[in-house]
Amino acid sequence: MIHGGKSFVSSPPAFSNDAKKLLVCTGNTISVFSTSTGMQITELEGHTALVTAIIVVPNANNVFCYCWTSSLDGTIRYWDFSAPELIKTVDIRLPIFSMVIPRLLVKQEESDGKVANVFAYMSVEDVNVHVSKAKYLRGQLRKCNLTESRLAGGVILAETVQPPYMTISPSGEFFGIQNKRTLYIWKVPGKDYEHAVVKKMKLHHTKNFSTFAFHPVDRIVAAGDVTGRILVWRGFGWRKFSIHDDFNNDGLMKSEDERPGVRENDDADSCSTWHWHSSEVNLLSFSSDGAYLYSGGNEGVLVMWHLDTGKKNFLPRIGSPLLYFMDSPDSLLSSISCADNQIHMLKMSSLEILKTISGIKLPCSFPDKWNGLSSGFVFDDAAGVVAIRTENYRIQFYSLLDNREISEVQVCERNHQPGDDITVAVTLMALSPDGSMMCTAETKLPEEGIGGLVCLKFWVRELQRKDFKLSTIVYEPHRDAPISAIAFHPSSQMVVSSSYGGDFKIWAFRNTTQDTNPVLESSGWTCHAVGSYKRKPMTAATFSADGSVLAVAAETVITLWDPDRNVLVAVVGETFAPIMNLFFVVKSDSLVSISRGPVPQLSLWSMSKLSMVWSYKLHSEDVACADDASSFAVLALLPESPKAVESNGTRIHSTDGIILLFNVGDPIPIVTWSARKANGGGLSFLRVNQSSFEENTSAGKERSTLLVYINGDHEYVVFDPYSKEAQKLSLACQDASTEHEETGHFGYSALYGELPSFEPKGETDQGPILPSERPWETIFNGSSHNLPPLTKLCSAFLESLLEKRTTAVD
Amino acid sequence: MAEEPSFSKNFPTKSRLKPTSKKRRSSPESKYWKSFKTQQISGLVSSITSIDFSPCPPHLFAVTHSASLSIYNSHHPDSPRQPVSTISAFTDVAYSASFRSDGKLIAAGGESGIIQVFETKSRNPLRQLRGHSRPVRLVKYPRIDRLHLFSGGDDSVVKYWDVAAEAQLNDFLGHKDYVRSGCGSPVDDNVFITGSYDHTVRVWDVRGSNSESSTMVINHGKPVEDAVFLPSGGLIATAGGNVVKIWDVIGGGKCVYSMESHNKTVTSVCVGKVGRDTGEESEQYRLLSVSLDGYLKVFDYSKLKITFSVRFLQPLLSVGFSPDCSTRVIGTSNGIIYMGKRKTAIKEEPTAGGFVGFHFMEEPQRRVLRPSNFRYFHRGQSEKPSKGDFVVLRPKKVKLAEHDKLLKKFRHKDAFVSALRKKNPENVMAVIEELVARKKLLKCVTNLDMEELEELLMFFQKYSAQPRYSGLLMQFAIKVLQIRAEDIQASETLIGHARNLKRSIDEEIRIQQSLLEIQGIISPIMRIAGRR
Repeated sequence: MIHGGKSFVSSPPAFSNDAKKLLVCTGNTISVFSTSTGMQITELEGHTALVTAIIVVPNANNVFCYCWTSSLDGTIRYWDFSAPELIKTVDIRLPIFSMVIPRLLVKQEESDGKVANVFAYMSVEDVNVHVSKAKYLRGQLRKCNLTESRLAGGVILAETVQPPYMTISPSGEFFGIQNKRTLYIWKVPGKDYEHAVVKKMKLHHTKNFSTFAFHPVDRIVAAGDVTGRILVWRGFGWRKFSIHDDFNNDGLMKSEDERPGVRENDDADSCSTWHWHSSEVNLLSFSSDGAYLYSGGNEGVLVMWHLDTGKKNFLPRIGSPLLYFMDSPDSLLSSISCADNQIHMLKMSSLEILKTISGIKLPCSFPDKWNGLSSGFVFDDAAGVVAIRTENYRIQFYSLLDNREISEVQVCERNHQPGDDITVAVTLMALSPDGSMMCTAETKLPEEGIGGLVCLKFWVRELQRKDFKLSTIVYEPHRDAPISAIAFHPSSQMVVSSSYGGDFKIWAFRNTTQDTNPVLESSGWTCHAVGSYKRKPMTAATFSADGSVLAVAAETVITLWDPDRNVLVAVVGETFAPIMNLFFVVKSDSLVSISRGPVPQLSLWSMSKLSMVWSYKLHSEDVACADDASSFAVLALLPESPKAVESNGTRIHSTDGIILLFNVGDPIPIVTWSARKANGGGLSFLRVNQSSFEENTSAGKERSTLLVYINGDHEYVVFDPYSKEAQKLSLACQDASTEHEETGHFGYSALYGELPSFEPKGETDQGPILPSERPWETIFNGSSHNLPPLTKLCSAFLESLLEKRTTAVD
Repeated sequence: MAEEPSFSKNFPTKSRLKPTSKKRRSSPESKYWKSFKTQQISGLVSSITSIDFSPCPPHLFAVTHSASLSIYNSHHPDSPRQPVSTISAFTDVAYSASFRSDGKLIAAGGESGIIQVFETKSRNPLRQLRGHSRPVRLVKYPRIDRLHLFSGGDDSVVKYWDVAAEAQLNDFLGHKDYVRSGCGSPVDDNVFITGSYDHTVRVWDVRGSNSESSTMVINHGKPVEDAVFLPSGGLIATAGGNVVKIWDVIGGGKCVYSMESHNKTVTSVCVGKVGRDTGEESEQYRLLSVSLDGYLKVFDYSKLKITFSVRFLQPLLSVGFSPDCSTRVIGTSNGIIYMGKRKTAIKEEPTAGGFVGFHFMEEPQRRVLRPSNFRYFHRGQSEKPSKGDFVVLRPKKVKLAEHDKLLKKFRHKDAFVSALRKKNPENVMAVIEELVARKKLLKCVTNLDMEELEELLMFFQKYSAQPRYSGLLMQFAIKVLQIRAEDIQASETLIGHARNLKRSIDEEIRIQQSLLEIQGIISPIMRIAGRR
């Protein structure tokens, strides 16, 4: 079983100390990427829910690679990410949304030799309070003693409606949150102990804050709001945080009118406003020397403000809303996380992108009028590749087995500006069964009735290279009517496109290479045949597995055609609602149809009897047919129950979909799995080579067919639908906890084999130590922190001696 | 990752692609024939009855028209369209001028039945060959022979002359009607053919003892207007009616091919050559035929297909092609000569008579470049990569048109106006489509000032009826007229433009209706035809 397609940009990433690695939160795991190659090195696995924060322990000489991570599963874990192994787990049993550890950033003066306690401040969600309360502050800011791995009792710094995102100053002196129109800033006490008084101050603004950042040296804080303004407060907190450093106490106190721009009682010397962004500011970050302020928002433009003069410099056309900006210890390198699931490695001196780590493209949000025009995913089932439409008029090819992007094809030659109205979109695509040809349909919306355009494009994969080359463009293939479906012929070079305008066209590939002049080769797709049935809108089309029958749905009936001679063969049945999708079941004479709308329907038709066999009232998202068996899988949405609506509000992911595996002869499904976020999901069988798959899974079982399920967030899982393991998956999914699977050996274990599992440090005193079975010479071998306490060892040692004597007697 | 990390590129607006037709638009051959740039020589009185090129450089050509013979030099630097000299020593209409193989003499027949021989340079009449009782339409020197010529007349007699002695050597009788055409064999000067209105082409041999009968008779089936030997000497081409036929003389006078692509009588044929360096010599010859329907067709008789066809507005009577492949001349029935000249004439080797001097060109010594020399700093910059080198290509710079630059700066109206002023409808359409995608088109229209609006209306008037653009432009025009109704009513010129627009659209509607009517007539016929 392979999981993949996680978001790389759910939380900010973190650089390692030598800036050669980037730690990225990918769902339940932390992926470590190389910044120089952009490839994944290793993965830290252990969390059972979304990882929300990564804090790399700073280290002067780059020897140790330790990091703290927090997760929604309520644990904080301590890792050595070079090895990769888990060192310590702190369980606080509250979902952690954000965490900062100020202590790590302060220069450690270890004069007394005693290791001080390390405290983490985190924003957690209080799950103990009942939902029913009207004014209910769910977010809490709490403090945790990481050394002793427990929550600091009773210390709640603040309570908010939602768990806030925390920001820490680079010096580790301050941290804060933004809450609506107020910034709360705390000063970390110099000597931190459990009940140390943490001082707080507030800064106010008239708009909601979206993000803020601390200056690395000075007492400057910059905050962005939802309207795109950036406010820069200088000299904040001289009054509130001034007790310990009283030498500058009154000298810097200024009267009210000498503090330009600062709201009434706020504790700052001055406040200036910069406005360039047209919408919400998503990221703010100071450069490491504090001379520049970086800001970015939905425009996809990184703005560099010179802090003293306010002059701007731009890095435009990144192409997607910017989310996070991370400075690396190597001051030349930084990373930008974009909303399209990409992390760009940026060379700061020349402002160019060195590498891009791109994950699976996230679903693009199309306006309602696109609904019904677009299909979800296209699978190249032989190569294990899924093709996904992206927002910037491209198609991304993503390898499901390797969990990485293969290539991208620019379908429309246009620039995408995030935030613009979507007027052009790639609505449909189809891949030929051998993956060598592609067909895409794009639609341009008219402006007040002027200039709408539907365009069909045929692509051919170049032999040497991986990417596709444009072969033929057909403008307005069905007049101005939108295209409802495209399908490739399974064996010959033929494509059918059906339109809502009431006709379908069969396109054939003509390659007329002239012998005399091979340079003037003219190959392209031409219309082979046109058909229509009673001028009804054609809503779906597909070829049968051997290519002898073309099935086109004319709203509620299915028409069967001979594709070569373009002759209507038969008309089948009638459904209640227009058919949206048609699928032939391989190795049988059956056809599956999907209708949606108020009366959803999933029907199986027998082609030999030309009648319906059975039908369910199911809202089906997708159907996948295995190509070597007479079975098919259906992804269906569960009817929404009131309970489900409730649970949506509480952000607990409940199952909303179900995957059913049918055999053709039997209306009762063989297997069922429940699935989450099934709306907008996709399903497909993969025909993958045995060997290539075996490399990826340690389990060496016989696998014939694999089923892949992509959910609405483009996270996917690949599993064998016929194995028993998958049966377990169904149970696990019903528990609404994500299944986790061991995937191969990495790093240390790949070289030296499995490490002996040992208990994490924090729980050593609780767990009983098993006496070793080994002879006494080897008992003391190994590193000291691995050894059990001496009291436990003693008996084992004596026992081993006793054993030795008995053997000697024998 | 698979793709080079880069920010999104800038895409210039692209016009819609035109559909490509299945047949090749321009083969290298049609490109060659198109490279003859036609000049018109007019002002001659009557029809151009014959054209003949001098076999020697500079390949003058002689044209007979009414009672005169004009000699032109197509390579004349200043006035190629003016005759070099005109011989008007004819009492009646002159026919069939023919250069001798060295180009020094020229012979022509005439309505009077007398064959006259002139010196080309001085225009002096040297000999008069009298013997034909009717007009002589055929006078030809053999390919190489300088002493004899043959002629044919409307008295249906073919005569063979000794020019120097002004004596008639042979009478060839056999034709039963006017002899109008003929040609000497390229391989043997003793053999020639004549074509007659009695539908036959006869092959004659002057060595034959029996002068009465021809060596071979070929029946063309129509009155023969012209007959030529093809350069191999084994094939002849005959023109008569609207048919050109190729015959195999060696194989016993078998018809090889019959080309029937002219609509009216083919009046003249000649052999042309595609001046190519590559390929076999025999594959380069083409048959040029002109007809009263105004078409010049180029026929590739080795592949048996027409490779080029061009139409002139006049009925064509005669055609000639210069031996150096630089000039093609066509004569019409009303005194116009179309002279087609290629820019780059194919260089011909100097003939045997030409003197070629041998000079020892001293090889310039290569001096070692020193920093004192300016070229020193440019050395190696124009170095060409040798065959095995791996060339690192510089990324191609995308050239942006002015409207693209303006679009990049989001100056939508300016981009629109700039495209309009450039007057390329493809670009205007591409900009309109781009503006639609940005939802800025109507905003642009409201911002146009009066002059720009006028330009837009003129654009509509010109292109909105064209089917390629009408789908978009019609709706757009309606929208513009609605939005800017007040401004248009305020200005007199704009009202005029709107009126013109209406007129052009009305006309288009009328055309569409008549087309529909035609379709209504045709479709039942097609239906019936399809049923069988």
